[in-house]
Amino acid sequence: MDNIYSLYKCRVLRVYDLTDDVKLFLFRFENPDIAESWTFIPGQFVQLDIPGLGEVPISICSSPMRKGFFELCIKKIGRVTDKIHELKPGDFVGVRGPYGNGFPITEFEDNDLLLIAAGIGMAPLRSVFMYALDNRWKFGNITVINSAKFGKTLLFKKELEAMRDMAEAENIRIIQTVTRDPDWPGRVGRAQEHIKYANTKPEDAYVCVCGPPQIYNDVFQTLIKNSYDPRRIYVTLERRMKCGVGKCGHCIAGSSTFLKYICVDGPVFGYYDIISTPGLI
Amino acid sequence: MRYVKITNEKIYDFLERLKNYGKLYAPVKISDKFYDRKEIEDVREIAFEYIRTLMPAKKYFVSPTEKMFEIDIEKGEYKETLENIEPFVIFGMHACEIVGLRILDGVYLDKYPDIYYKRKRDAGIIVGLSCLPDEYCFCNLTRTDFVDVGFDLFLHELPDGYLVRVGSPNGHKIVDENTDLFEEVDKNDIDAFRAFEEKRQEMFKWEGSFDNMRYILELTMEDEVWDEEVEKCFGCGNCTNTCPTCRCYDVQDIPDIDGKKAKRIRFWDSCQFRGHGLVAGGHNFRGTKRDRFLNRYICKNAYFYGLGTSYCVGCGNCTYFCPANIDYLKNLMKIRSMTEVKNG
Amino acid sequence: MSLKIGVHGLTSCYGCQLKMASVKEIINIARNFDIKYWYMISSKGEIEHVDIAFVEGSVTTKEDERELKIIRENADILVAVGSCAIHGGVQGILFGEEYEKAFKEVYGDKKIEYEAEISHPIKNFVEVDYNLPGCPPEEDEIIYYLATFALGSYPEEKDYPVCSECRRNGYPCVLIEKNDCCLGPLTVAGCNARCLKYGISCIGCRGALEEIAWFDSLAKTFKEKNMGEEYVKSRMEIFGKQYEKMEEMLKKVFENED
Repeated sequence: MDNIYSLYKCRVLRVYDLTDDVKLFLFRFENPDIAESWTFIPGQFVQLDIPGLGEVPISICSSPMRKGFFELCIKKIGRVTDKIHELKPGDFVGVRGPYGNGFPITEFEDNDLLLIAAGIGMAPLRSVFMYALDNRWKFGNITVINSAKFGKTLLFKKELEAMRDMAEAENIRIIQTVTRDPDWPGRVGRAQEHIKYANTKPEDAYVCVCGPPQIYNDVFQTLIKNSYDPRRIYVTLERRMKCGVGKCGHCIAGSSTFLKYICVDGPVFGYYDIISTPGLI
Repeated sequence: MRYVKITNEKIYDFLERLKNYGKLYAPVKISDKFYDRKEIEDVREIAFEYIRTLMPAKKYFVSPTEKMFEIDIEKGEYKETLENIEPFVIFGMHACEIVGLRILDGVYLDKYPDIYYKRKRDAGIIVGLSCLPDEYCFCNLTRTDFVDVGFDLFLHELPDGYLVRVGSPNGHKIVDENTDLFEEVDKNDIDAFRAFEEKRQEMFKWEGSFDNMRYILELTMEDEVWDEEVEKCFGCGNCTNTCPTCRCYDVQDIPDIDGKKAKRIRFWDSCQFRGHGLVAGGHNFRGTKRDRFLNRYICKNAYFYGLGTSYCVGCGNCTYFCPANIDYLKNLMKIRSMTEVKNG
Repeated sequence: MSLKIGVHGLTSCYGCQLKMASVKEIINIARNFDIKYWYMISSKGEIEHVDIAFVEGSVTTKEDERELKIIRENADILVAVGSCAIHGGVQGILFGEEYEKAFKEVYGDKKIEYEAEISHPIKNFVEVDYNLPGCPPEEDEIIYYLATFALGSYPEEKDYPVCSECRRNGYPCVLIEKNDCCLGPLTVAGCNARCLKYGISCIGCRGALEEIAWFDSLAKTFKEKNMGEEYVKSRMEIFGKQYEKMEEMLKKVFENED
């Protein structure tokens, strides 16, 4: 029997600075068989391990269409991620996964797609976005709303900015907005204030939201006011999983009628799950 | 189901023979008030009268502390540490704990089977033992007072011995290999078994059903009735550690002094501890004592689809072993009344 | 390149240093770390810049305070070691009039060279990065702290109570069984319930769990077990005098007569 907690060696291929405290890492599994066969659904996460320090759950932010490689966007925020930030190309880490349900991506097909990110929320949503770009013909109009407090803390700012004009021709709209940066030359205001500028048809769109817990209510309300279908709104949640496979209990959330392990039953939940379950966000 | 009988004269022989099937663990008295399971040398020290043990039988399957990996930090290599597990027999598990173990099975042997648990589960033989409830027991409410599966043998007390239910191929094997110890069940035994079960049912203190508890609980989580109980709680985690179905664990890497090797260990954790709901960056999803206190009630009263019961098996351990005298069942009764049986 | 460390003692019994010096792996500590200052094991050395300074003992004199500040200035990381450094230790039990009285009893009218003060935890004077609790600290934790530093990281401090380790070891609960005044529920784990192993109730030598030590809840239970306020207070004060929360919480329980 396989040990579900076994880690596979991954080599760091590239490291990019996204912001002062967020880096993007490109990995490849050392074992070529695993590298070729390993795949995932956007919205899933891996357990990333620094030997001797421990594991952290990190959502995958690349497209599953890029076989053999995957990217993780990691904020320096604790004991393990501090160390991850010291990694250089050529270094090794341990990885296991993918875990979680991921976004119902096949259900999204043939529809418009609205992605709303706040703070570091773009990390898991970028995987959905990249997947949609790789399969452009499968999706209708796409809008990405990426928001942060300051221009310098906008994740993937340059990447999204670089594709903005070209994307418009492909019916992809990229909106980047900041809330507290007077020097920012672009759009300002919270993510939800820009929903009205999306190119997605509300009756025909799926919505993915990711950000700090306090943004959800306002985003939901604006979406619904703008006629988006609540049944088609999904969010992805964060917890500190120790196992990733529904054992250790750290990510258990919800109430007595809807008790969920975020790591296996989530991290992606629908709008109605969220509003009917205290403790999820 | 196959039924056989063993008489009181032969019970110690039987226990002695169980050692042929593995290390024998059974309840013994460890102090004035407490029992716990220990490895048995002398079968006569087994405490048949025990009601609950300080550590639930889960300790044999989910170790309080266990090593998972040895890590070579420099090479980035992980070697799983699968300790040598010898066959063992747990004697005297009550119905509630057997259901508890099946709940753990549902969690640990799901689509991501946990090898450390599986190996111990495969090595363990379960011999159940009937019991009479004390004031803390409410397995009749949670419908976990009788088990159909989850044991190899189950002994039901009779005036002159035990009626034995055979619940698995391993159970059959034990009976077949020791036919000299067993005899046929006769009509008197059946009458005695029935009488015992009736007496047992009458001894439960409360009657009612837990079926809609989870809805009522969900609707009353903001109620003030919880405040006083939260105030009493130390957050010591005794309730979860003594619960047969609590299974949260934490993982820690312990590096060697030279920083070249490390071991990865896991150990029982508790949702009653502050660190349980903490995420990177300092946000805590269960930031207050109230959050943590209620989390246990929520989790225990949630529905385990695998068995069609709640995660709570009605053993009463959490109340019995609470140093702050917090009464789990009484607290639930505050939000959803139960009827006290007259002679209870 | 090995980390430079220093081990220092302020006012204390020097038991923590002794423990550190007598761990089984002391040779490996010496091999893997560059010990710049450790008076107990070598009279050589002066306070110089180190990566990590371990400080045991509390501040009870101006001299302690001055030395502590020099240690802090010369250390990237400062670890408070043991009960005295972290929360003032047993000597921290004396405050105000009690202190004056005790001082008189011990020294009378004699003139002493230094100015003695009430015992303070070192965090009252300098920034402390990590706490290594215990009286003295446990061997495995000493190694764990050093090893995580050696890895370029830092230790995870325990934030759960001794009860947890007591249950994991299957020791009978003395609070339930013997109605003992056990402080396990308040006290930082890590000792593997050392005293409970022998049925001796916890006196809280590792210090209370900051923020989540429910002195009031525990005191209420003690009160229900017919323990008096003075007794409960005297037990909790042995290592807990420095917790402001304690007085307030005890007052709430004992003054609120039903």
